[in-house]
Amino acid sequence: MNELVVSELHAGYGGAQVLHGVSFTVGEGEIGAILGPNGAGKTTLLRALSGMVKGRGSVRLDGVELLGSSPDTLARRGVAHVPEGRGTFMPLTVEENLRLGAYVRRSGVDADLDRIYGYFPALKPRLKQAAGSLSGGEQQMLALGRALMLRPRLLLLDEPSLGLAPLVTRELFRIVRAINEQERTTVVVVEQNAHLALGIAQQAHVLETGRIVLSGTAARIRADEQVAQSYLGYRV
Amino acid sequence: MNESPVSTGESTATVSSGSAAGAVPRARAGVARWRWAVAGLLLLAAVYAPFQLVPFHVFQLTMVLVYALALLGLNLLVGHAGQISLGHGAFFAVGAYATAIPLARWDVPHLVTLPIAAGVAFLLGLALGLPAMRLRGLYLALVTLAIAIFLVPLLKRFEEVTGGSMGLTLPKPAPPAWTGLAEDQWLYFLALAVALVAFGLAAGLLRSRVGRALHAIRDNEAAAEVMGVRLSYYKTLAFAWSALFAGAAGCVYTWVIGFVSPDSFVVTLSITLLAGIVVGGLGSQAGPLFGALFVMFVPSISQDVNKAAPGVIFGLLIIAVMYVAPTGLAGLAGRAADSLKKTLRKG
Repeated sequence: MNELVVSELHAGYGGAQVLHGVSFTVGEGEIGAILGPNGAGKTTLLRALSGMVKGRGSVRLDGVELLGSSPDTLARRGVAHVPEGRGTFMPLTVEENLRLGAYVRRSGVDADLDRIYGYFPALKPRLKQAAGSLSGGEQQMLALGRALMLRPRLLLLDEPSLGLAPLVTRELFRIVRAINEQERTTVVVVEQNAHLALGIAQQAHVLETGRIVLSGTAARIRADEQVAQSYLGYRV
Repeated sequence: MNESPVSTGESTATVSSGSAAGAVPRARAGVARWRWAVAGLLLLAAVYAPFQLVPFHVFQLTMVLVYALALLGLNLLVGHAGQISLGHGAFFAVGAYATAIPLARWDVPHLVTLPIAAGVAFLLGLALGLPAMRLRGLYLALVTLAIAIFLVPLLKRFEEVTGGSMGLTLPKPAPPAWTGLAEDQWLYFLALAVALVAFGLAAGLLRSRVGRALHAIRDNEAAAEVMGVRLSYYKTLAFAWSALFAGAAGCVYTWVIGFVSPDSFVVTLSITLLAGIVVGGLGSQAGPLFGALFVMFVPSISQDVNKAAPGVIFGLLIIAVMYVAPTGLAGLAGRAADSLKKTLRKG
């Protein structure tokens, strides 16, 4: 059971508190969308989940506490984070980037590479190419593929649509959905593009100035006129 | 991040080689074969050279190998792991003294001093790697610089062990009779053997999982960490390995010179080494060799040009190289080789 239970999570940078008691749950094998305007604390929330910023409260995956562990320990426990800006290792080749994704394992790496090409056939001809020479969309696919190399139990996606053409973004979300269905990976996706995120998520949570102001099924959030106007910026 | 100074000429070469799926591996195999050919020719020349040159030139080549060894270590740290050290001369000095003291006191065989020097430097590197876990950039540079600065007075202070300012004079390794080699040739081949083993070790290390982890830390620390790379472990290890090679260089240096004194290891040595690897080519396999040639020959050649200002010429040349070849001499050589290959293919 890879259920993610976040309760009363406080986190921030030095003196500046960003999250003020965030609580939500993402069911096993489900996709949870975190929506909200700029500066709401979406990225900080993901960073707290992957150990990049320290937090107080509780984050449990399958009942085991994640808070207080370092990012590399959490990676070993199956938390894969695709950070803001993708975290591509530009001078390294595509293949080296992917192999780094499986850094915590020594076996089955080649088989996993084949699995990734299944999801992202566009990467295969570019294996020996420097990752920095890929287009934005390809780099986002690489980042996602690299995260999958970890065989994650929990996948954290930070603004996958950022800077991508609408068509590429839609393709990317389709793949995220396919991955979620085939691997039963629990996913938390942070997005400004609410429409796309609600299209693949079961549950959605609206974050504003460090607090969850609204939670519900994706369908309900989508239907909520007031939410659409005040938090998502447009009528869905 | 795209214009990272460490991207080497070869990676650009592979990027530009056709987009068709089949063409890429073939181009890679071609590059690999070409590299082996160059390496083989170099090795042949390296073995042949000492029989053709006068002893002084053989000595100079031996010193090139010594510097290359030290730069190999520094390249691991700066070029591959993305850390900085302004105190690498200290590891070199520690290797030199870890060789000199056992030789002077207990008259141990020369070969025994190599593992001692490398081991002592490795341990010191581990210890100094601890601040590297927490410090970055300029702060790390300052801490390592401080180490280089206080080492010289420290060596002078413990006169009973280190010989103080007078230094220690030591026997050089004698060529075994069966080789029929002169002393300078024997020293050269010893240095060559140590350098070959070290370059092999470093290449193996970098091709492994460890190498990938170091590159990941260099390119994006945060992303490396969320992928499970333990930063503190690898940063410390990079320092230790780097120090090991510098220590081995100090050991061979002592064999070759037969004399150590604190004033051979002043701060400028550390800075020269850093300049050497940047000029040679950070993160490139040939970088240490190019850097060593630069560090060894530029001062002595510029002395012939103008006795008053070898330092000025050395400095101006560094600036010039950085302008013409931001990826170092190795990058420049790679680009030259690429355009040569292209011309040959067309012709």
